[in-house]
Amino acid sequence: MSTTEDTIKDIVVKIVHCERDILKPEATFQDMKADSLDMVQVLVALEDEFGIEIPDEDAQKFKNFGDFVNYVETKVAEKKG
Amino acid sequence: MLSGKVALVTGSSRGIGRTIALKLAASGADVIVNYFRHREEAEQAVADIRQMGVRSQAIRANIGDAAKIEEMFAEIARDFGRLDILINNAASGRPRSALDLDTKVWEWTMDINARALLLCAQQAVALMGPEGGRIVSISSVGSSFVLPQYAAIGISKATLEAITRYLAVELAPRGIAVNAVSASLVATETGLLYARGGKSDEEAPIPMPPAGRLVSTDDIANTVAFLCSEAAAMIIGQTIVIDGGTSLAALSPR
Repeated sequence: MSTTEDTIKDIVVKIVHCERDILKPEATFQDMKADSLDMVQVLVALEDEFGIEIPDEDAQKFKNFGDFVNYVETKVAEKKG
Repeated sequence: MLSGKVALVTGSSRGIGRTIALKLAASGADVIVNYFRHREEAEQAVADIRQMGVRSQAIRANIGDAAKIEEMFAEIARDFGRLDILINNAASGRPRSALDLDTKVWEWTMDINARALLLCAQQAVALMGPEGGRIVSISSVGSSFVLPQYAAIGISKATLEAITRYLAVELAPRGIAVNAVSASLVATETGLLYARGGKSDEEAPIPMPPAGRLVSTDDIANTVAFLCSEAAAMIIGQTIVIDGGTSLAALSPR
Protein backbone atom coordinates (compact mmCIF):
# COMPACT_ATOMS: atom_id res chain seq x y z
CA MET A 1 0.00 0.00 0.00
CA SER A 2 1.34 3.40 -0.93
CA THR A 3 2.04 6.07 1.65
CA THR A 4 -0.23 8.44 -0.23
CA GLU A 5 -3.12 6.00 0.03
CA ASP A 6 -2.48 5.55 3.75
CA THR A 7 -2.49 9.28 4.33
CA ILE A 8 -5.72 9.67 2.35
CA LYS A 9 -7.31 6.94 4.46
CA ASP A 10 -6.21 8.72 7.65
CA ILE A 11 -7.87 11.91 6.43
CA VAL A 12 -11.12 10.27 5.30
CA VAL A 13 -11.48 8.27 8.54
CA LYS A 14 -10.87 11.39 10.64
CA ILE A 15 -13.41 13.53 8.79
CA VAL A 16 -16.08 11.04 7.73
CA HIS A 17 -15.81 8.83 10.86
CA CYS A 18 -16.13 5.65 8.76
CA GLU A 19 -14.39 2.33 9.37
CA ARG A 20 -10.94 2.20 7.78
CA ASP A 21 -11.64 -1.30 6.44
CA ILE A 22 -14.37 -0.11 4.07
CA LEU A 23 -11.96 2.18 2.20
CA LYS A 24 -11.40 -0.13 -0.74
CA PRO A 25 -10.91 1.35 -4.24
CA GLU A 26 -14.48 0.49 -5.24
CA ALA A 27 -16.05 2.04 -2.10
CA THR A 28 -18.50 4.78 -3.06
CA PHE A 29 -19.20 7.88 -0.99
CA GLN A 30 -22.53 6.33 -0.05
CA ASP A 31 -20.62 3.34 1.33
CA MET A 32 -18.63 5.80 3.44
CA LYS A 33 -21.88 7.56 4.41
CA ALA A 34 -20.19 10.83 3.48
CA ASP A 35 -22.40 13.87 2.91
CA SER A 36 -21.50 16.85 0.74
CA LEU A 37 -19.91 18.78 3.61
CA ASP A 38 -17.76 15.75 4.47
CA MET A 39 -16.61 15.68 0.87
CA VAL A 40 -15.63 19.35 0.81
CA GLN A 41 -13.77 18.95 4.08
CA VAL A 42 -11.93 15.89 2.77
CA LEU A 43 -10.94 17.82 -0.37
CA VAL A 44 -9.70 20.75 1.72
CA ALA A 45 -7.70 18.45 4.00
CA LEU A 46 -6.15 16.62 1.01
CA GLU A 47 -5.21 19.93 -0.59
CA ASP A 48 -3.51 21.13 2.58
CA GLU A 49 -1.78 17.80 3.20
CA PHE A 50 -0.38 17.35 -0.31
CA GLY A 51 -0.08 20.98 -1.40
CA ILE A 52 -2.29 20.40 -4.45
CA GLU A 53 -5.49 21.96 -5.76
CA ILE A 54 -8.58 19.88 -6.47
CA PRO A 55 -11.06 22.07 -8.37
CA ASP A 56 -14.76 21.22 -8.18
CA GLU A 57 -14.75 20.46 -11.90
CA ASP A 58 -12.41 17.52 -11.14
CA ALA A 59 -13.92 16.52 -7.79
CA GLN A 60 -17.35 16.04 -9.38
CA LYS A 61 -15.93 13.21 -11.49
CA PHE A 62 -14.87 11.10 -8.49
CA LYS A 63 -17.13 8.06 -8.14
CA ASN A 64 -15.32 6.04 -5.50
CA PHE A 65 -12.36 5.96 -3.16
CA GLY A 66 -10.07 4.59 -5.87
CA ASP A 67 -10.74 7.66 -8.07
CA PHE A 68 -9.68 9.83 -5.13
CA VAL A 69 -6.41 8.00 -4.61
CA ASN A 70 -5.55 7.91 -8.34
CA TYR A 71 -6.26 11.62 -8.70
CA VAL A 72 -4.18 12.63 -5.70
CA GLU A 73 -1.29 10.33 -6.69
CA THR A 74 -1.27 11.81 -10.21
CA LYS A 75 -1.34 15.38 -8.87
CA VAL A 76 1.44 14.68 -6.37
CA ALA A 77 3.54 13.05 -9.12
CA GLU A 78 2.94 16.07 -11.41
CA LYS A 79 4.06 18.38 -8.62
CA LYS A 80 7.27 16.45 -8.07
CA GLY A 81 7.88 16.09 -11.82
CA MET B 1 -16.47 57.13 -8.98
CA LEU B 2 -14.22 54.45 -7.44
CA SER B 3 -11.18 55.09 -9.67
CA GLY B 4 -7.92 54.36 -7.90
CA LYS B 5 -9.66 52.28 -5.23
CA VAL B 6 -8.86 48.64 -4.61
CA ALA B 7 -11.70 46.27 -3.71
CA LEU B 8 -11.71 42.69 -2.49
CA VAL B 9 -14.90 40.69 -3.03
CA THR B 10 -14.84 37.33 -1.25
CA GLY B 11 -16.57 34.47 -3.04
CA SER B 12 -16.86 36.33 -6.33
CA SER B 13 -16.36 33.62 -8.95
CA ARG B 14 -20.13 33.42 -9.43
CA GLY B 15 -23.55 34.49 -8.20
CA ILE B 16 -24.00 37.64 -6.10
CA GLY B 17 -20.26 38.10 -5.53
CA ARG B 18 -19.48 38.05 -9.23
CA THR B 19 -22.12 40.67 -9.99
CA ILE B 20 -20.77 42.89 -7.19
CA ALA B 21 -17.19 42.48 -8.46
CA LEU B 22 -18.23 43.50 -11.99
CA LYS B 23 -20.26 46.42 -10.66
CA LEU B 24 -17.36 47.82 -8.61
CA ALA B 25 -15.05 47.38 -11.61
CA ALA B 26 -17.54 49.24 -13.78
CA SER B 27 -17.33 52.07 -11.24
CA GLY B 28 -13.56 52.19 -11.75
CA ALA B 29 -12.19 50.09 -8.88
CA ASP B 30 -9.46 47.49 -9.21
CA VAL B 31 -11.04 44.24 -8.03
CA ILE B 32 -9.56 41.18 -6.37
CA VAL B 33 -11.69 38.08 -7.00
CA ASN B 34 -11.46 35.67 -4.07
CA TYR B 35 -12.68 32.16 -4.73
CA PHE B 36 -12.33 28.72 -3.25
CA ARG B 37 -13.87 25.88 -5.27
CA HIS B 38 -14.44 27.41 -8.73
CA ARG B 39 -11.15 28.33 -10.41
CA GLU B 40 -12.42 28.44 -14.00
CA GLU B 41 -15.29 30.75 -13.11
CA ALA B 42 -12.96 32.98 -11.06
CA GLU B 43 -10.58 33.28 -14.00
CA GLN B 44 -13.50 34.19 -16.24
CA ALA B 45 -14.60 36.88 -13.78
CA VAL B 46 -11.06 38.31 -13.74
CA ALA B 47 -11.00 38.35 -17.56
CA ASP B 48 -14.37 40.11 -17.67
CA ILE B 49 -13.19 42.70 -15.12
CA ARG B 50 -9.95 43.41 -16.97
CA GLN B 51 -12.02 44.13 -20.10
CA MET B 52 -13.23 47.20 -18.23
CA GLY B 53 -9.70 48.58 -18.10
CA VAL B 54 -9.03 48.03 -14.40
CA ARG B 55 -6.65 45.67 -12.61
CA SER B 56 -7.96 42.34 -11.42
CA GLN B 57 -6.51 39.23 -9.86
CA ALA B 58 -7.96 35.97 -8.58
CA ILE B 59 -6.84 34.76 -5.16
CA ARG B 60 -7.79 31.31 -3.95
CA ALA B 61 -8.52 31.07 -0.23
CA ASN B 62 -10.88 29.18 2.02
CA ILE B 63 -12.02 32.06 4.19
CA GLY B 64 -13.18 29.60 6.83
CA ASP B 65 -9.47 29.10 7.58
CA ALA B 66 -7.75 31.90 9.53
CA ALA B 67 -4.30 31.08 8.15
CA LYS B 68 -5.59 31.22 4.55
CA ILE B 69 -7.12 34.64 5.21
CA GLU B 70 -3.73 35.92 6.39
CA GLU B 71 -2.06 34.54 3.26
CA MET B 72 -4.67 36.19 1.04
CA PHE B 73 -4.10 39.60 2.63
CA ALA B 74 -0.32 39.18 2.43
CA GLU B 75 -0.78 38.66 -1.32
CA ILE B 76 -3.01 41.74 -1.57
CA ALA B 77 -0.47 43.83 0.37
CA ARG B 78 2.33 42.64 -1.91
CA ASP B 79 0.51 43.04 -5.23
CA PHE B 80 -1.76 46.04 -4.59
CA GLY B 81 -0.21 47.71 -1.54
CA ARG B 82 -3.57 48.86 -0.22
CA LEU B 83 -7.24 48.04 0.14
CA ASP B 84 -10.16 50.48 0.17
CA ILE B 85 -13.19 48.24 -0.04
CA LEU B 86 -13.87 44.84 1.51
CA ILE B 87 -17.01 43.04 0.37
CA ASN B 88 -17.59 40.09 2.66
CA ASN B 89 -19.78 37.94 0.45
CA ALA B 90 -18.52 34.34 0.52
CA ALA B 91 -20.93 32.02 2.30
CA SER B 92 -21.55 28.35 2.81
CA GLY B 93 -23.82 26.12 4.81
CA ARG B 94 -25.90 23.01 4.82
CA PRO B 95 -29.66 22.66 5.19
CA ARG B 96 -30.33 21.89 8.85
CA SER B 97 -33.06 22.36 11.39
CA ALA B 98 -31.82 23.65 14.75
CA LEU B 99 -32.19 20.24 16.40
CA ASP B 100 -30.14 18.58 13.65
CA LEU B 101 -27.39 21.20 13.71
CA ASP B 102 -24.25 19.33 14.75
CA THR B 103 -20.93 20.89 15.74
CA LYS B 104 -19.34 20.12 12.38
CA VAL B 105 -21.91 22.05 10.35
CA TRP B 106 -22.04 24.76 13.04
CA GLU B 107 -18.29 25.38 12.92
CA TRP B 108 -18.10 25.22 9.13
CA THR B 109 -20.94 27.68 8.68
CA MET B 110 -19.96 30.08 11.47
CA ASP B 111 -16.30 30.16 10.38
CA ILE B 112 -17.15 31.01 6.77
CA ASN B 113 -20.24 33.16 7.20
CA ALA B 114 -19.48 35.05 10.41
CA ARG B 115 -15.91 34.75 11.68
CA ALA B 116 -14.49 35.53 8.23
CA LEU B 117 -15.95 39.05 8.43
CA LEU B 118 -14.14 39.66 11.70
CA LEU B 119 -10.82 38.23 10.51
CA CYS B 120 -10.96 39.83 7.05
CA ALA B 121 -11.91 43.20 8.55
CA GLN B 122 -8.98 43.06 10.97
CA GLN B 123 -6.62 42.46 8.05
CA ALA B 124 -8.34 44.89 5.69
CA VAL B 125 -8.26 47.82 8.10
CA ALA B 126 -4.46 47.53 8.28
CA LEU B 127 -4.36 48.12 4.49
CA MET B 128 -6.79 51.06 4.50
CA GLY B 129 -5.26 54.53 4.38
CA PRO B 130 -6.13 57.76 6.24
CA GLU B 131 -8.96 58.41 3.75
CA GLY B 132 -10.83 55.46 5.26
CA GLY B 133 -12.73 52.77 3.45
CA ARG B 134 -15.80 50.60 3.22
CA ILE B 135 -16.73 47.16 4.51
CA VAL B 136 -20.00 45.67 3.26
CA SER B 137 -21.24 42.16 4.07
CA ILE B 138 -23.95 40.14 2.42
CA SER B 139 -26.47 38.81 4.92
CA SER B 140 -29.84 37.13 4.55
CA VAL B 141 -33.34 37.73 5.90
CA GLY B 142 -32.90 34.31 7.52
CA SER B 143 -30.97 36.20 10.23
CA SER B 144 -34.20 37.70 11.62
CA PHE B 145 -36.87 35.39 10.21
CA VAL B 146 -37.13 31.63 10.41
CA LEU B 147 -36.83 29.76 7.11
CA PRO B 148 -37.15 25.99 6.68
CA GLN B 149 -33.91 24.04 7.25
CA TYR B 150 -32.03 27.33 7.52
CA ALA B 151 -30.84 27.26 11.15
CA ALA B 152 -27.14 26.92 10.38
CA ILE B 153 -27.01 29.80 7.92
CA GLY B 154 -29.63 31.98 9.61
CA ILE B 155 -27.81 31.92 12.95
CA SER B 156 -24.47 32.66 11.29
CA LYS B 157 -26.00 35.60 9.41
CA ALA B 158 -27.40 37.02 12.66
CA THR B 159 -23.87 36.88 14.06
CA LEU B 160 -22.56 38.54 10.91
CA GLU B 161 -24.96 41.45 11.42
CA ALA B 162 -23.90 41.81 15.08
CA ILE B 163 -20.21 41.85 14.08
CA THR B 164 -21.11 44.50 11.49
CA ARG B 165 -22.55 46.77 14.20
CA TYR B 166 -19.56 46.40 16.53
CA LEU B 167 -17.02 46.97 13.77
CA ALA B 168 -19.04 49.92 12.49
CA VAL B 169 -18.86 51.90 15.73
CA GLU B 170 -15.20 51.07 16.27
CA LEU B 171 -14.19 52.01 12.74
CA ALA B 172 -16.42 55.04 12.11
CA PRO B 173 -13.89 57.51 13.61
CA ARG B 174 -11.35 56.27 11.04
CA GLY B 175 -13.66 56.99 8.13
CA ILE B 176 -14.39 53.34 7.53
CA ALA B 177 -18.11 52.70 7.05
CA VAL B 178 -19.22 49.15 7.87
CA ASN B 179 -22.63 47.92 6.77
CA ALA B 180 -24.51 44.86 5.58
CA VAL B 181 -27.03 44.14 2.87
CA SER B 182 -29.62 41.51 3.64
CA ALA B 183 -31.52 39.80 0.88
CA SER B 184 -34.47 37.50 0.63
CA LEU B 185 -34.32 34.76 -2.00
CA VAL B 186 -31.99 35.90 -4.78
CA ALA B 187 -32.33 34.49 -8.28
CA THR B 188 -29.02 32.60 -8.36
CA GLU B 189 -28.30 28.92 -8.93
CA THR B 190 -27.87 28.36 -5.17
CA GLY B 191 -30.87 30.52 -4.22
CA LEU B 192 -33.27 28.76 -6.57
CA LEU B 193 -32.02 25.35 -5.47
CA TYR B 194 -32.84 26.27 -1.86
CA ALA B 195 -36.27 27.59 -2.84
CA ARG B 196 -37.08 24.31 -4.56
CA GLY B 197 -36.13 22.29 -1.49
CA GLY B 198 -32.85 21.08 -2.96
CA LYS B 199 -34.46 19.73 -6.13
CA SER B 200 -33.50 21.20 -9.49
CA ASP B 201 -37.13 21.08 -10.68
CA GLU B 202 -37.55 24.15 -12.85
CA GLU B 203 -41.33 23.78 -12.84
CA ALA B 204 -41.70 24.15 -9.04
CA PRO B 205 -43.44 27.46 -8.29
CA ILE B 206 -41.55 30.04 -6.22
CA PRO B 207 -43.59 32.63 -4.28
CA MET B 208 -42.93 36.15 -5.54
CA PRO B 209 -42.28 39.20 -3.31
CA PRO B 210 -44.95 41.96 -3.35
CA ALA B 211 -42.70 43.79 -5.83
CA GLY B 212 -43.59 41.10 -8.35
CA ARG B 213 -40.23 39.54 -9.10
CA LEU B 214 -37.36 37.85 -7.29
CA VAL B 215 -34.44 39.91 -6.04
CA SER B 216 -31.67 39.87 -8.64
CA THR B 217 -27.92 39.92 -8.12
CA ASP B 218 -27.99 43.40 -9.70
CA ASP B 219 -30.35 44.62 -6.97
CA ILE B 220 -27.77 43.59 -4.38
CA ALA B 221 -24.78 44.92 -6.33
CA ASN B 222 -26.43 48.33 -6.86
CA THR B 223 -26.98 48.77 -3.11
CA VAL B 224 -23.46 47.56 -2.31
CA ALA B 225 -22.04 50.06 -4.82
CA PHE B 226 -24.10 52.84 -3.20
CA LEU B 227 -22.79 51.89 0.26
CA CYS B 228 -19.26 52.08 -1.17
CA SER B 229 -19.86 55.59 -2.50
CA GLU B 230 -19.18 58.91 -0.77
CA ALA B 231 -22.95 59.54 -0.76
CA ALA B 232 -23.38 56.78 1.84
CA ALA B 233 -20.64 57.99 4.20
CA MET B 234 -23.02 58.53 7.13
CA ILE B 235 -24.70 55.12 6.96
CA ILE B 236 -22.92 53.27 9.76
CA GLY B 237 -23.54 49.74 11.01
CA GLN B 238 -26.85 49.22 9.24
CA THR B 239 -28.30 46.17 7.60
CA ILE B 240 -30.23 47.22 4.51
CA VAL B 241 -32.99 44.75 3.63
CA ILE B 242 -33.57 44.06 -0.06
CA ASP B 243 -36.54 41.75 -0.31
CA GLY B 244 -39.11 43.38 -2.56
CA GLY B 245 -41.42 43.69 0.46
CA THR B 246 -41.46 40.00 1.37
CA SER B 247 -40.74 40.35 5.10
CA LEU B 248 -43.20 43.23 5.64
CA ALA B 249 -45.95 41.30 3.90
CA ALA B 250 -45.27 38.05 5.76
CA LEU B 251 -48.58 38.19 7.63
CA SER B 252 -50.65 39.20 4.61
CA PRO B 253 -52.81 36.57 2.91
CA ARG B 254 -51.20 35.47 -0.38
